[in-house]
Amino acid sequence: MSRSYDLSGRRTVQRRRASLKTRPQRAVRASFIAAGFLVSIVAGIAFYFLPAIQVALRDTGQVNTSLGGTAQLKPVSANENLPSTSPFTLLLLGSDSDSKFKGDYLTQSMILTRVDPATRHVTMLSIPRDLWVRLCTGSNGKIDQAFLHGGAQCAIQTVERNLRVHIDYYAWIGLQGLVSVLNQLGGVNVIANNPVMDDYYPADLSGGNPFDYQRILVLPGAQRMTGTLALEYVRARHDDAYGDFARSQRQQQILIALRAKTKHVSLADIPSLATSLGSDFQTDMSIGQVSGLLPIAGSVPLASITQVVLLPPYTSSVYVGGQDALVPDWVLIRPEVAKFFPVGS
Amino acid sequence: MKRIAILVALMVASGLAANRTLAVLQSHTTAAALVNTTSPQVRLPGTIYVSQAGSIFAISGARIRRLALPSGGDWSQPRVLADGTLLVIRRFDAYSDLYRVSAAGRVLSRMTSDDPSTSNQTLQLDHWILWPSVSPDGTEVYFATDAPKPAPNQSYEVDFSIWSAPLGAGFSVADPGVTGGTRWSVPDMYTGGDIEPVPLPNGSLLYSSYANTGKGTVVTVLGLQTSPNSPMRSLTTPQQDCGAPAVAPDGVTVAMVCTNAGQTANLEVATLEGNGLGPPRVVAANCLCNSPSWSPTGDNLLYMNAADTDGNFGLWYIANAGGAHPGAARRVTDSSVDLEATSAAAWSGR
Repeated sequence: MSRSYDLSGRRTVQRRRASLKTRPQRAVRASFIAAGFLVSIVAGIAFYFLPAIQVALRDTGQVNTSLGGTAQLKPVSANENLPSTSPFTLLLLGSDSDSKFKGDYLTQSMILTRVDPATRHVTMLSIPRDLWVRLCTGSNGKIDQAFLHGGAQCAIQTVERNLRVHIDYYAWIGLQGLVSVLNQLGGVNVIANNPVMDDYYPADLSGGNPFDYQRILVLPGAQRMTGTLALEYVRARHDDAYGDFARSQRQQQILIALRAKTKHVSLADIPSLATSLGSDFQTDMSIGQVSGLLPIAGSVPLASITQVVLLPPYTSSVYVGGQDALVPDWVLIRPEVAKFFPVGS
Repeated sequence: MKRIAILVALMVASGLAANRTLAVLQSHTTAAALVNTTSPQVRLPGTIYVSQAGSIFAISGARIRRLALPSGGDWSQPRVLADGTLLVIRRFDAYSDLYRVSAAGRVLSRMTSDDPSTSNQTLQLDHWILWPSVSPDGTEVYFATDAPKPAPNQSYEVDFSIWSAPLGAGFSVADPGVTGGTRWSVPDMYTGGDIEPVPLPNGSLLYSSYANTGKGTVVTVLGLQTSPNSPMRSLTTPQQDCGAPAVAPDGVTVAMVCTNAGQTANLEVATLEGNGLGPPRVVAANCLCNSPSWSPTGDNLLYMNAADTDGNFGLWYIANAGGAHPGAARRVTDSSVDLEATSAAAWSGR
């Protein structure tokens, strides 16, 4: 051991003592420090993605779910991907999920969607909520009641049996979830077709009496629609020559506008989007499949989107079971559906 | 011991840094206020009034100022009168009113009171008034309002009709109609009705008229009437789906937005020829164009547009838009600014 006789001698000795530690000891210490940094960084990232993880565990990869019931996880791995080339069918469901329904939700919006990743073609078929069909329960009723009676699985079965299609996946969203997501994305750019006016629009999201009305007006033409305005646009129906049919067309329009937004959604946006959705979202797709859908949606050109609405003569108005409903003409509807949604594709 | 504490602190900081880095990488969707940007990127003569986030802004050369209008409601759709004052719409959740204000934003008069529900609680008695426009001689104000409409709980119908009233005299909007006003149009029911009136120098009226095709769609045509309640003549076809007319001071050059019933639009210019419209020329194609308006000299065109399907709506400008060789479209406001696209800019020579 060398000696130092100056004032800093003690420190010099200590340093040299430290340097006497063996190489394996130093390696172990360095490993601990590196692991500490790694754990800290991973914890920071995990904490950031915590809302997305919660949503992934709670709301994705589900099947046989009845809202308010016990969710059963579909046996898919979290990173299972969508088929990159073969087409798949997705049933989009939307419900008025405000307080007046107390968890017993109808589906005011049902859009059967076929995505062909290879040709980048999308077909959207709006199923009228008042369509009078045989439900999965065996009784007859409006198709919007299927979700109420048996959750997503009943809605899927009802659509599959009546329209003779195969559905690969479903996604359900509530009103507040839609508003929050649109706000989170900064709204969507849409050309409103005509002035959309309603003096009897439900005031169910403003926090007061959910049975109250409010007046709404959406001006025509190109504009940015944030969450509440977009919701008014797709939900208003009273002063409309085509009622539910018109708002079905507008719902498809907002979905098409949303696809432009998916181009700019990054991994870092996922937690805030998950927080926005809260409990207003459910799907049987895995988180990997949901994230795989975004680039496909963003790459579909406007010209490659086919929109279908079952206007008369495909349906006709009737008064049945004490309520207004739409009777389907299956002879007309099924060949048309088969054209866009071939079974086995 | 001190060394270990420092190490632990550094580890915690690295975790925090990773967390915050991800937060910074999020897409940012907030649009900038007009006064805080590098706008205008094109300096135009006179003063241009635009609407953003419920306020009216005046762009004069390189200077931008916010009009000192009272707070509450959203101010939009400014129209410049010959004396430099403005007509402006103040919109609340359930109704809107027409105001006359000074160029600085001082309220000179509230011209309507469309909120009877404030006193009687019946929301359906409230009214909308929008798209004010002044006759070329400055004596009449034209507007669209949802009167007449059925009494509350009698019907769901609520559609816009075009009315006019003397600019200097009082008028009031109620369910039966506009007291002190003249009704011009009768709307096609449950379509949204007739909007965006433009009075012409010859006393005729041009406007956007929505119509039910009977085939599951509602389209708009440019309608022309020579007098109140006279038959409407369609200047465009339902297939063209044209609306938002703006007429240059010459009284014959018309700018309009046509969508061909699609999800993109063309900004087109055509010439009124008698009671018809000449062949249109597209001056901006495949855009999200809306709300065209002309310069006081009538040769330059302003309009709202988003640069892409996901972009902010800004003010755009085309020089010599009515001529044989229109200039290229140029964005006037900064790309970070998101203007109210349904509110046309008003361009004053002052």
